[in-house]
Amino acid sequence: MGASISIKPQQRRDSTKNKVLISSILFMGLGHVLYLKQYLKGLFFAAIEVVFIAYLPKITVVLGNLITLGEPQPHLPIRQRPHSMFMLIDGIIVLALIFIFIGFYIISVRSAVAESDQSRRSPIGLREGINRALPMIGLAPSIGLILFFVFIPLVFSACVAFTNYSSPGHIPPNNTVDWVGLENFKTLFGGHTTWTGALVRVALWTLTWAVLATATCYFGGMLTAVVLKESRMRIAGFFRILFILPYAIPSVISMLVWQNLLNGTFGTLNRTLFTLGVIAKPIPWLGDPRLAKFTAVMINLWAGFPYFMLLTLGSMTAISQDVYEAAEIDGAGKIQLFWKIILPIVLYQTAPLIIMSFTHNVNNFGAIFFLTGGGPVVKDSTLTSSGGTDILITWIYKLTVNLMKYHYASVLAVMVFLVLAPIAMINLRRTRSFREGEL
Amino acid sequence: MNPKARTKINAVIVLVFLTITSIFVLYPVVYVISAAFSPGNSIASLNIIPFGDGVTLEHFRHLFTSTNYPIWFKNTLIIALATSISTVLIASLGAYVFSRFRFTLRKSLMTALLILQIFPSFVGMAAIYVILLRIGGHDTLWGLVLVYVAGNVPYNTWLVKSYLDTIPRSLDEAAIIDGASHFKTWLMIIMPVARPILTFLAIASFTGPWMDFIFPKLVLRSAHKQTLALGLFSFITDKKNEFTNFAAGSLLVAIPFIIFFVTFQKYLITSLGASTVKE
Repeated sequence: MGASISIKPQQRRDSTKNKVLISSILFMGLGHVLYLKQYLKGLFFAAIEVVFIAYLPKITVVLGNLITLGEPQPHLPIRQRPHSMFMLIDGIIVLALIFIFIGFYIISVRSAVAESDQSRRSPIGLREGINRALPMIGLAPSIGLILFFVFIPLVFSACVAFTNYSSPGHIPPNNTVDWVGLENFKTLFGGHTTWTGALVRVALWTLTWAVLATATCYFGGMLTAVVLKESRMRIAGFFRILFILPYAIPSVISMLVWQNLLNGTFGTLNRTLFTLGVIAKPIPWLGDPRLAKFTAVMINLWAGFPYFMLLTLGSMTAISQDVYEAAEIDGAGKIQLFWKIILPIVLYQTAPLIIMSFTHNVNNFGAIFFLTGGGPVVKDSTLTSSGGTDILITWIYKLTVNLMKYHYASVLAVMVFLVLAPIAMINLRRTRSFREGEL
Repeated sequence: MNPKARTKINAVIVLVFLTITSIFVLYPVVYVISAAFSPGNSIASLNIIPFGDGVTLEHFRHLFTSTNYPIWFKNTLIIALATSISTVLIASLGAYVFSRFRFTLRKSLMTALLILQIFPSFVGMAAIYVILLRIGGHDTLWGLVLVYVAGNVPYNTWLVKSYLDTIPRSLDEAAIIDGASHFKTWLMIIMPVARPILTFLAIASFTGPWMDFIFPKLVLRSAHKQTLALGLFSFITDKKNEFTNFAAGSLLVAIPFIIFFVTFQKYLITSLGASTVKE
């Protein structure tokens, strides 16, 4: 009998594998049902494809709408007019679902092929099936939420940058919105003097702000930490608790308080200085563009130094006592100890957090918006709504909420993303898990 | 100069430095407390000497009788609790899957999470608004919670995942061999072991909503669905300045925060320090 077997086991396995592969590609889950006897899994995959096919006509309509964004139909009552933004969002959602479907397809084919390799193919029960599907079930909430509230909004934002979605002429449902290509980029980056001027001004200040805000808080925090640590006074513990206060108070509150205290005419600071005879006329802390920038950085220092103080204290505690002792035996003074030992170690350990803090400050909405409101008014404020201390993110907010110029706001958002994404990648590459290939 | 005199001068410099910093730190704090208890309404009428015009509890009475302050507080508390619990559950389950399973698209998903977390989620405001309108989550507290949790998940999944990677696998493998399901292993083995990082996560995501302004402004419209940040902000707009009421309301929010931070400052120092060393 043995000699009559024409197909060797290896070949037979290969041919089954091919059958499974082809049937799985033909229809999701077919391979599971026909050859692997995994009916539950197969039917689950098949159901996904059936639903997809059932919705295919609707999907085509939605994708068509995504391309046109609706034709203007002024004769219809407002409620029945095509709503371009719903079309855009639906189109993006459908695109995302198509990608998920493709992902499922790949997973189904791969799982079928992988399992046709295994010799044991005992059917599994519902309980065990659910157990094995845990990775999928466990990730479903995260992926769903991120998809709908992080990823799709980002894509939407990026898309709006290429439309004319803006007040007054193109706000649905009254009017439709159209794709305009690179029009908005042209206006902002060199087509329109006022807008380009405002953009350059705000972008430069955003960068300056992020650098200054990070640097002042970092070195301010480190200085206080070192002083507290090295002073070896009993009272240091008391001061440490005191200095945590700004970190503990919600920043909305503290910034609004500062805004009132620094008010040029009514603020307590100016009135105090006036009463004491230090100044003759009020200092426009938040009213003069230059001074307001300085004030913003100083108040941010107030709010931000405790974080870095705690951080430095933490990483100084982690420095082994031996290092200090060795340095002292070698005759290093306090100043030398700081420059040659403490600073390099702390700097090395906190580097990733400096980068994180920088990106945080680029997007530090609260520190600007609640303190200065982006003000004071400058030359181009009436048209662009950007004030003397506006950073990109507060400008985006004003463009969206006040002016309803969503198209320009989206261009700025894309810009911020293009600048910050590489920084995040660099930070990722630094982490140990990435370098070791573990991810 | 002899060493003793030098130490003394050093001590004086340190003390002067600490005193100046303290004044800087305390300046707004003192005025908020004094404003909360001072008669009058706007910042203009506030005496420049703290507590110079006597003490009154009028503003606290006003908050609880004539404004929606208790409702704002309740709403914010609900949002913060729901956000905190959901973030911990969803992020830890996701982190468990990423840490313990190997599957198709795993690396791509993890990289995507990392890139998405740098972007402040309110840049997609307009889209979030439309999506919430679509699913009926507009002007509801749960709609706002969804937005917060989605914003929290990417970064925190990474955070918990890195922590879980340091826990020996033998621990949960033993449970699996004993016949526990993956879900049960996550709930009974992983969750308890990961308690330090999950506590940190719960606290961090609980405090977030108290300070946020943009999303409540975007999502919540009805008067009885406002949050503390919105309500407090409404006291000091361009049209009116009720700084004293604002101060009283702020004080009531800030005090629990301060007590909390001061109590846990030792823990904060070690956890911040540890997070730097690990990188």
